Amino acid sequence: MQSSAALEYDYSVAKLYMWTAVIFGIVGMTIGVLIASQLAFPELNYLFGEYGTFSRLRPLHTNVVIYGFTVSGIFATFYYSAQRVLKVSMGESKLLNGLGYLQFILYLIAATGMVISELMGITASKEYAQMEWPLDVLIVVIWVLWGVIMFGLIGMRREKALYISMWYYIACFLGVAMLYLFNNMEVPTIFFSGGVGAWYHSVSMYAGTNDALVQWWWGHNAVAFVFTVPIIAIIYYFLPKESGQAVYSYKLSLLSFWGLMFVYLWAGGHHLLWSTVPDWMQTMGSVFSVVLILPSWGSAINMLLTMKGEWNQLTENPLIKFMVLASTFYMLSTLEGPIQAVKSVNAIAHFTDWIPGHVHDGVLGWVAFMIFAALMHMATRAFKREIYSKSLLEAQFWIQTTGVVLYFTSMWIAGITQGMMWRAVDEYGNLMYSFIDTVSVLHPYYTIRAIGGLLYLIGMFMFAYNFLMTATAGRKLEQEPQFRSPMA
Amino acid sequence: MFHWLEKNPFLFSVGVFIVIAFAGLVEILPNFAEASRPIKGLKPYTVLQLAGKEVYKKDNCIACHSQLIRPFKSETDRYGKYSLSGEYAYDRPFLWGSKRTGPDLHRVGNYRTPDWHANHMWNPKSVVPDSIMPAYKHQFKNVADLATAYAEAVTVKKVFNTPYGDEIQPGKAAFEKYYKTIALPEAMKIAKAMKNKDVLAMVQQGKIPEVVALVAYLERLK
Amino acid sequence: MTLTEMQGYAFFFLTVFLVVILYGYILHLYRSEKKGERDYEKYGKMALDDELHDRPVEANPKVTNEKKES
Repeated sequence: MQSSAALEYDYSVAKLYMWTAVIFGIVGMTIGVLIASQLAFPELNYLFGEYGTFSRLRPLHTNVVIYGFTVSGIFATFYYSAQRVLKVSMGESKLLNGLGYLQFILYLIAATGMVISELMGITASKEYAQMEWPLDVLIVVIWVLWGVIMFGLIGMRREKALYISMWYYIACFLGVAMLYLFNNMEVPTIFFSGGVGAWYHSVSMYAGTNDALVQWWWGHNAVAFVFTVPIIAIIYYFLPKESGQAVYSYKLSLLSFWGLMFVYLWAGGHHLLWSTVPDWMQTMGSVFSVVLILPSWGSAINMLLTMKGEWNQLTENPLIKFMVLASTFYMLSTLEGPIQAVKSVNAIAHFTDWIPGHVHDGVLGWVAFMIFAALMHMATRAFKREIYSKSLLEAQFWIQTTGVVLYFTSMWIAGITQGMMWRAVDEYGNLMYSFIDTVSVLHPYYTIRAIGGLLYLIGMFMFAYNFLMTATAGRKLEQEPQFRSPMA
Repeated sequence: MFHWLEKNPFLFSVGVFIVIAFAGLVEILPNFAEASRPIKGLKPYTVLQLAGKEVYKKDNCIACHSQLIRPFKSETDRYGKYSLSGEYAYDRPFLWGSKRTGPDLHRVGNYRTPDWHANHMWNPKSVVPDSIMPAYKHQFKNVADLATAYAEAVTVKKVFNTPYGDEIQPGKAAFEKYYKTIALPEAMKIAKAMKNKDVLAMVQQGKIPEVVALVAYLERLK
Repeated sequence: MTLTEMQGYAFFFLTVFLVVILYGYILHLYRSEKKGERDYEKYGKMALDDELHDRPVEANPKVTNEKKES
């Protein structure tokens, strides 16, 4: 048997996912900037004929950034950090490593299938669950493989207690599994029609209001278990490791974990305020969305306090900058969400651009910033090279921060303007504006938003270049750095 | 009290699962039966309308249009009566949408005509000069997938007991018959009301363009 | 009593129950650390000392024993 001194962590699967995160990031964000520009300048709808309209591209944008960029980032950090906090190498089990490769290949197939089918307009039409049943089946397989690898590694661990990040990865695994299965319950029509119609078509098991309930139970919690839970897993490992400071309070992290798990699922109802679901459920949705501030802030404050006494690192290390700003944005969007879930606010905000604004300060400011920081941190270890350019990283940080601020401020104003105009009445009680008036007024905000998005995309390209150069041309390191990632 | 959980991955996972599954059980399950009851007199979609719903999904109208009128005066003034749960009983999937870049469509059939839709889908600016909606000219050329819509009707009839008549039966022959005797005449009526020569010519040749199915569906939304 | 009302009550009491548990948990955590029974904060070190050859905060008895010998 090998002695553990000669053993090394095996990053081969993690590296593959690091590359796909970068590639999908570029693709998804480019589409995002295109569709944002289409709202300001509708002529841009006709670049690719049938396949280039806003409506066709919008789900492609959301799916590529969620299932391409974010999920790649989650898998990359998992395959990297799970080994480390469990103190067991992927290399110790040929089986698990092989399954890791298999999972990656299936993931690539599913992602390609997703892009092609959505361009063609083959869709189940539920938001963030657009994929049709053959792809759904493939995704279940991928997810089960991930579970096998996760619990396989846990079974071999040398560290008896599970670190905080592992709790969140487990919760992500279980939560998504449950939600995805229930939301995608569908009946393929080909099994019943006697050979008539397309083989990939299906109908939802649920109808109307029930379908809406299940969908937003999923829609909201997909945000919980893809954009929040695993990203918290990332920050609980990478911020302490990069800064060399142990997490401020382990007890607080326990509390916020269980608090978050219990509360998050209740809040799904807030997507259905003023709809036809029963009133008490709507009220519960509202109340719990507000209660949700507590556990969310528990994690964020815990992260900020971890930097206690080491705030000088904020000026010296751009990766710390990314992560600290990310937790600040996390606090912002977890405060904003509950505000929108208050019924009277929701009456104005729902259906307006405030909602995409809210989503984007979360995903651009929190999710993507965390993934950028984690990818760079991992790159120095996985490629054993120094980060190619610190100044490029700094520039990226400021350009993207400006982009995010432009994005959400313009969407706040746009959303509230539109919400108020829809309900404005004159002295006789008649509606003051026709619908198109409320569209025309948004043109300047749509333009600002597109510019904000463009800035962010430029930052993404800078990151991709920096990452590529780090992996291929960074100065070689003799051994893995202990804490701070070295950069030139 | 719970400390041992972090050292027992299995029990830890069970704990997490219970906590997250609990909310779904209480929130969703109890009202399932009630919410799925259709309102009186609600008929299931015809196959042509289902094909139109597929076009609505394919070109993803829900990216910008909702189908949910909330119980506010400003909304009922603008769009008509607020939406009721039972009106959606045959909607699989639901198409409420989550964003109104364009207006709500839940009762669009009450105040727009087929020829208005025909002009609008060909060039939105011709009827709404400031519109930022893209034109959907390809819907005038692409042939609607009636077979898949028919398959859907067969499936919901069998699996969910949606009240379709005997004209909906599995198999290719049944579909051919349905297409000629029911779907085509229905499409012809829509095509004539759309007042578009090319569309009418296509239907006369026995082909139903996507836009006809879509308009049939939009006309149904009342 | 209708089914909906029962759900309402069940939900309300369940929520109160879980809130009590959560607060009890907070109390328990801080008390047991104050009394010196447990040190929770040592687990924070798991992220920092995460090399394969670092000593685990709490070794897993099943795995470490066989690996140490070899």
